[in-house]
Amino acid sequence: MNRLAGFTGLPAQIFKISFVAIVDAVLISMFFASTHKHATPLAAVIAAVLIATNFVYFAKFTLPFKFLFPGLVLLVVFVVVPILYTVSMSAFNYKTGNEISKGQAITQLLQTGLAPDAANTTYDMILGKKDGNYAALLTDQVTHDVFIGTEKGTTKLVAGQFKMNTYGIADTAPGFHALTPEETAGADSLISTLKFPLGDGSFAAPQSADVAVRLTQSFVYDKATDTLKNVSLGKTYKDNHDGNYANIADKTDKLLPGWRAFNNFGNYIHLFSDSTVRGPFIGVFIWTVSFAFITVVMMFGVGFLLALALDKKLALRRFYRSILILPYAIPSFMSILIWNGLFNRQFGAINGLFHTNIDWFNSPWLAKGVILLVNLWLGFPYFYLISTGALQAIPAELEEAASIDGAKPRQILRLIKLPLMLQILSPLLISSFAFNFNNFNLIYLLTGGGPTDVLHGKTAGATDILITYTYKTAFGSNEQNLGLACAISMIMFFIVGSLSIWSLRRSKVLDGF
Amino acid sequence: MKTKNLWRHAYIWVLIVFTLFPIYVVIESSFNSTGSLASSSLIPSNLSWVNYKALFNNPAVPYTTWIRNSLIIATANAIISVFIGAASAFAFSRMRFKGRKAGLQTLLLIQVFPSFLALAAIYVMMERVYTVFPSIGLGSLGGLLLIYLGGSMGVNAWLLKGYIDTIPMELDEAARIDGASTVQVYWLIFFPLAAPVLAVTALLSFIGTFNEFVLASLFLQDINRRTVAVGLQQFVGAQFGQNWGPFAAGSLLAAIPLVIVFLSLQRFIIGGLTQGATKG
Repeated sequence: MNRLAGFTGLPAQIFKISFVAIVDAVLISMFFASTHKHATPLAAVIAAVLIATNFVYFAKFTLPFKFLFPGLVLLVVFVVVPILYTVSMSAFNYKTGNEISKGQAITQLLQTGLAPDAANTTYDMILGKKDGNYAALLTDQVTHDVFIGTEKGTTKLVAGQFKMNTYGIADTAPGFHALTPEETAGADSLISTLKFPLGDGSFAAPQSADVAVRLTQSFVYDKATDTLKNVSLGKTYKDNHDGNYANIADKTDKLLPGWRAFNNFGNYIHLFSDSTVRGPFIGVFIWTVSFAFITVVMMFGVGFLLALALDKKLALRRFYRSILILPYAIPSFMSILIWNGLFNRQFGAINGLFHTNIDWFNSPWLAKGVILLVNLWLGFPYFYLISTGALQAIPAELEEAASIDGAKPRQILRLIKLPLMLQILSPLLISSFAFNFNNFNLIYLLTGGGPTDVLHGKTAGATDILITYTYKTAFGSNEQNLGLACAISMIMFFIVGSLSIWSLRRSKVLDGF
Repeated sequence: MKTKNLWRHAYIWVLIVFTLFPIYVVIESSFNSTGSLASSSLIPSNLSWVNYKALFNNPAVPYTTWIRNSLIIATANAIISVFIGAASAFAFSRMRFKGRKAGLQTLLLIQVFPSFLALAAIYVMMERVYTVFPSIGLGSLGGLLLIYLGGSMGVNAWLLKGYIDTIPMELDEAARIDGASTVQVYWLIFFPLAAPVLAVTALLSFIGTFNEFVLASLFLQDINRRTVAVGLQQFVGAQFGQNWGPFAAGSLLAAIPLVIVFLSLQRFIIGGLTQGATKG
C-alpha cells in the first residue's frame, strides 16, 4: 500500500496536530475577545466547542465522532441552540419597550427621571479643577449665591472667598484653577457627564461649558422593596412581574422602558385569550392550513395528469418534458417576483393583455387565487416528476391482470393506479404540505401577506400564513414582539414536527436502518 | 388511438402556454428599451440592450456585487456542506457506534424543522455575536454562511448515506486487509468513488443557497452585502414600473446558467427525487 503511505504515521499526525492547533488558536482568541466584552454566553459556547474539539481529536475511542464532529458542532450551535433559545424567548415578555435587562431598565428610568427643580434654578458656571479633580464655580443667576462644587459635594462660598469677574460671575477662588479654553474644548464630551451634588439629593448638571442647572432626582429606587418612588409626584411604582414598574394605585400607569421579564406561559395565554391577538391568529391559521392543503391537491392533480399524458410514447415527449420542468429549474424567488410584476395593476402584462384594470392584490379573494395559481406554476413540475417515478414503480403485471379481468382503462386508473400512487407518494405529499405550510417566499414576495385592512386595525393580512405572520410579529414596523413571535414559532414547530414524525412513522424510514 | 392522444396534446399545450407565458414576458421586457412592463401587446418592440447596460453602469444597483456575494456564499456553502455531509454520512453508513440509530433519527427530526422558524432567536443571537465579532455577526456574509452550514449535516448526511450504503463493503474490507486505517479508507477509497454524487449534492445545495431569501433578507441590510435574491427584491419592490426592465434582465442573467446546469444534470437530480418516492 505505497499509495496510502502519505496518509499515515508522522506526516498525518503532524497534519492533524497543526490543524487542531490552528482551530485552537482561533477559538482561544475568540474566547478572550468575548470575555473581554463580558459576553458570557458566547464565551461559554466557544469554550465548550474548544474543549470538545480537543477531546474528540485526541482521544482514542472517538473515531466516529472525528467524522461527525464538524457537522455536529454547526448543527448544535446554529440549529439546536436557536431552537432552545426560541423555547426560552417564548416564555419572556420580550417586545418593543421590553428589550433590555431589568438592571438596565432601572438605570435608564433613574436617568430619565431627572427634572429641573421647581424654581428652575440655573447657574453660570466656570469649569476648573480643584485638587486635580474637575470642579466648578457656580453662580446662581437669580440669587447670585456662589457655590464651589466637585463631584463629591458642593459648598456655599461667602463673600471674600471668591472674586467676581466683570459680568458678575464668580471666577476665582482659593485652590480653584479655571480651565483654559483649550482644556474646556478638550473636555467637551466629559462635561455632560459631570454632576455636582447639592446635598439634598439634587445636583447641578452642566448643560454646556458655562451653564449648569439644578436637577432633582424624581425617582428613587428602593432595593429592599424593589419599588421606584416618584418623589415629586408622590407615586410608588412596583414590579408588576410582567416587565414593567406599575403604579400601585393604578396598574395601567406603567413606567417605560420596561425589561424582558419571564412571564411563563404569558405569551401563549395572550395568544388564546386576548381577542386582538387571537382573532388574527385564528384567521391566519385557518388560511395557512387550507392554503397548504388546496395547493398540494392542485399541484398533485395537474402534475399527475401530466404524468399520465406524457406516460405513453408520445411524439416530442422529451421536448415537452424539457419545457415543462422549466419552472422547477428557475430560481423560485425570481419566478415569484416576476409573477408579482405580471399581476401588477398598472404595469402588469395580465391586465395589459386582457385590457382589464383589476387590482389583483387588493382583494382578499383575488389575492388568494393569484397565490394558488402562481404556486401551481411553481410546483406542478415537481409533482409531475415524482408521479412519473411512482407510475413506473407500479408493476405492469397489475395493469395486465386487471385488463384481462375486464377492467376498462378508466377503472384501472381509478381503482388501481391512483390508490397505489397515493400510497407510494404519501410521504412526499405530506412533506410538500409541510413545506407549503411554511412557504414564506411565496407569500412574502408575491402579496407580502396583503391586502391588510389597516383601517380596521388589522395586524394580519388576508393572505398571511403563520410564518409571514410570525415574521411581521417579530420584525414588524410598528411593534416588534419577539416573545409572542417565538410562541407562535413553537406552535408551528409542534404542528410541523408532529406531522413529520407521523409521516416518517408511516413510511417506516425510521426503522429502515 | 388518434383521438385518445388528442386530450393529451391539448392538455400538454395548455400547460406549455401556462409555463412559457411569464418566461416569455420576462425575456421580451428585458430587451424592451421603455424599461416598464406597460406594453399591452406580446409582440416585441423597441428592442435594445439598455436594460442590460443599466445593470452594470448604475451605482445604485450594484448588480455585479450582488452576483459575487451570491456566488461566494453559495459556493462556500456547497463545498463545506458537502465535506461535512460526506464525513457524517460515511460515519453513519460504515461505522457502528453507540447512539448511531438515535443520532440518525434525531438528525431527521431536526431537519424537518426549517431553520427560519427560529428566525427571531437567530436574529437576537447574531445581534449579540455582532457586538463581539462583527465579521460573523448580524449583517455579515460570514454569519449567514454559518447559519446555512448549521443545517447542512442533516440534509446532506441523509442524502449521501443512501448512496454510500450502495458502495460494496468488500472494497473497504480489501483496503483494510492491506493495512489501511478508517481515515485512509475514507479519503482514498470512498471519496473518489462518491465524487459524482458529491458533485450533484453540492450543486443542489448551491441552488438552494442561491434561492434562499428569508434569512438573507433579514441578515443583509447593507446594499453592498446583499445577495442577488435580496438585492433584486429590494430593487424591484422600490419602484415597480420603473425598475422592471433592468430587473428582468438581471433575473435572466442570473437564471440562465442555473437552468442550463439543471437541464443538463436533470437525469441525476430527478433520479434523486424519484428515488425517495419509489422507496416508500
